Amino acid sequence: MNKQSLPYTVVFSFIVCFVFVFLLSLTHQATSELVQLNQELRQQRAVLRALAVDFETDDQIRALFADIEAVEYDDMTLYRVQRGGETLYARIFAGSGVWGTINGVLGVDREVTRTVGLEIIDHNETPGLGGRIDEPWFKQQFTDKPLLDGRLEVVREGGTEGQDGKVDAVTGATGTSRSMQTILNRELERLQSVLGGEA
Amino acid sequence: MSDAAKAPGAIMKQNLWTSNPIFMQVLGICSALAVTNLLSNTMIMTIGVVFVTAMSSLTVSLLKSLIPRKVRMVVQTLIIAFYVIIVDIVLRAYLPEISRNLGPYVGLIITNCIIMGRAEAFAQSNGPVLSFWDGMTSGMGYMGVLLTIALVRELLGFGSLFGFQVLPAGFEPWIIMVMPPSAFFLIGLIVWIGKTIMHRQGEPVLEGE
Repeated sequence: MNKQSLPYTVVFSFIVCFVFVFLLSLTHQATSELVQLNQELRQQRAVLRALAVDFETDDQIRALFADIEAVEYDDMTLYRVQRGGETLYARIFAGSGVWGTINGVLGVDREVTRTVGLEIIDHNETPGLGGRIDEPWFKQQFTDKPLLDGRLEVVREGGTEGQDGKVDAVTGATGTSRSMQTILNRELERLQSVLGGEA
Repeated sequence: MSDAAKAPGAIMKQNLWTSNPIFMQVLGICSALAVTNLLSNTMIMTIGVVFVTAMSSLTVSLLKSLIPRKVRMVVQTLIIAFYVIIVDIVLRAYLPEISRNLGPYVGLIITNCIIMGRAEAFAQSNGPVLSFWDGMTSGMGYMGVLLTIALVRELLGFGSLFGFQVLPAGFEPWIIMVMPPSAFFLIGLIVWIGKTIMHRQGEPVLEGE
């Protein structure tokens, strides 16, 4: 058979494409459920962290997340949890950072007088600079942080521990810190507008 | 480069050292700049490259007598893309954190010229086992250089190795090491050191081929 002939080339190309694509589809099919689960788990983990709910294993995440109510306000989905006689709310947000979208979850109390926690789901900030918003020290600043006039300020000089409404910025990442301030304040305003009305 | 040396040992020496893909052939530079600021990411990425180069060289070599000349490169690209997507799917399913950190770079392994280069230059004219070995050692040559760069960048940029803090807390991280330009300087240094050592040893050095 002439391997350089047109019919052979066409048939060969077709078979090769078919076989490889078929194998890929099989692999994709076999893992798609797992990929889906990973994504869900990631989001649930972030919501739990933002509401300062403690957990250790992945199974605990699923169990704890089952206790969280998803409630609709206007066109927003809020996650609600009762703790210590208090109702806490969290919302998944998206806002623009320096290089791309920052997705995360912000938790607040019923009257939006303090943040309960912050978790970053994903971001495209510069690793080691803006990317440090995903480090524990940055996120922990938002654990039970009282707000000042319902707002947050990201302060460049640092040393904000114990000060209401102020958190430390990331050194060398002015752009990302400013973006976070904008995103979070817009988020707080939204939460105040839906939650504040019923206080 | 010469493919006259067909002994496994000689192939390995060539791929790891005398015609190392990064510092002698200057291939695969894009990913060398992008994914070398954390050792664990670099490790996973380069393991992916070793796997893809080895498997695609093996597959190209197995199919070489069946592939019509006209569609040779298209078929090679298809084979490479196939293995890269497999790596991507596996990372997504089993190592979601690392998959997220690597972002688009796993998909971009497809465009890594080292893989296509080995398929064209070696697998096309050699047996499957030797091609597999050639692909694997080429990937390892790439891995060695990238890990060296990542070692320096993570140590100076974050003060850690594989995520473990090794430098004292008072250490001021070098921000430049976190950014891609530092990899340029490091690659330059590695090329310089590598070529100097080769000249000392009297090895024939590839010059501007």
